[in-house]
Formats: sequence, C-alpha cells, structure tokens
Amino acid sequence: MEATLEQHLDDTMKSPSIVGVLCTDQQGHNLGCRGSLSDEHGGVVSVLARQAASLTRDPTDTPTVCLESDSGNILMKTHGSITVAVHKMAS
Amino acid sequence: MTTALTQGLERIPDQIGYLVISEDGVLASAGELENDERTAGVIMQMVQTACKFRLHGTAEPPFKRLSVMFEDHAYLVTVSGQKVFVVKRQNNQREPINV
Repeated sequence: MEATLEQHLDDTMKSPSIVGVLCTDQQGHNLGCRGSLSDEHGGVVSVLARQAASLTRDPTDTPTVCLESDSGNILMKTHGSITVAVHKMAS
Repeated sequence: MTTALTQGLERIPDQIGYLVISEDGVLASAGELENDERTAGVIMQMVQTACKFRLHGTAEPPFKRLSVMFEDHAYLVTVSGQKVFVVKRQNNQREPINV
C-alpha cells in the first residue's frame, strides 16, 4: 500500500537540489522519508505546519512554512491529513 | 529605543505590519499586527519549535529566516539580539514551488 508513496518519495529525490523529503501524519508519525530528513524531524514538521495554520481564519488557505538558511531551505506544507517537508539546497 | 528597532522594518517593501517580540513580550507593533498579541504568541511558539529542528546533529540554529507563506500575504520571521522580528508582507508573488 505504501508503494505509491515510496515511489513518489524516490521521484522527489531525483529533482536537482532536493536532498531530503519527509511525510508525516497529524501526530508527527513518519509515513516515509528520504535523505537528510528522517524520523526525528517528523514531530517538529507536523507541529510547525499546524501552528502556522492557526495564523489564519481561512481553513482553505494552508500556508507553506519555510526554514531558510545558507545551507538550504526546508519547506513544509499540509495537504489534508499529511504534512510534507522538502529539504532543498540553495542553487 | 523603539525607533531604532523599527525604522528598518518600516522601510521593508510591501510591509503591512510588523512585531518585535522579546522574552518579556511585544516591544513594538504596527499596521495589521498592531497589538496583535495572539499572532505574537503563535510566532513565538513557532520559533521555539523551529529551534528544535536539527539536521545531522549540528549545533547551530536551523534557520536564518522563518517564513510562513499564505495565498496573498506572508510572515517573515528572524531572530536577532534576543528579539524576534516579524514582518507581514503583502502579495509575496511567489511562484508555485515545483519540487
């Protein structure tokens, strides 16, 4: 059942400058990950996305959270019950 | 002291509000974020959460800037001198993030 998700994670890692990807559920449990993002990041990712969503009253306007640093950006967004994080290196 | 903190923030293009927050609370606020203690509280929680993020066990803070991007506005957050600076900017014109 996870084959499709696993394939998507592999495909995501093929993108240039992507060095990590992670999917979590709403409790921060790891659904799948690759590269620089792993189990230990699931909790922070899901909590950050949820906290960011509380900055708006519009439930359809889901925000993208980005941690920006010299070594790259970590982008996070929630779609339904799944939060996706992508670690992208500065090009 | 407020002027020194905020004059730079005032000049940021497309800014529609800002907050300067310390451990003791909101030091300055303006525009759409004026007196917005609720947003200040959420942002502080996010900064504390984000600081727990560690890649490869590095000790350094995991971000220079934290951004929260909505459809037509964004919050840009950075930490400097024990203070958290938040700017709300209009219409960030971001491209779809194709990964």
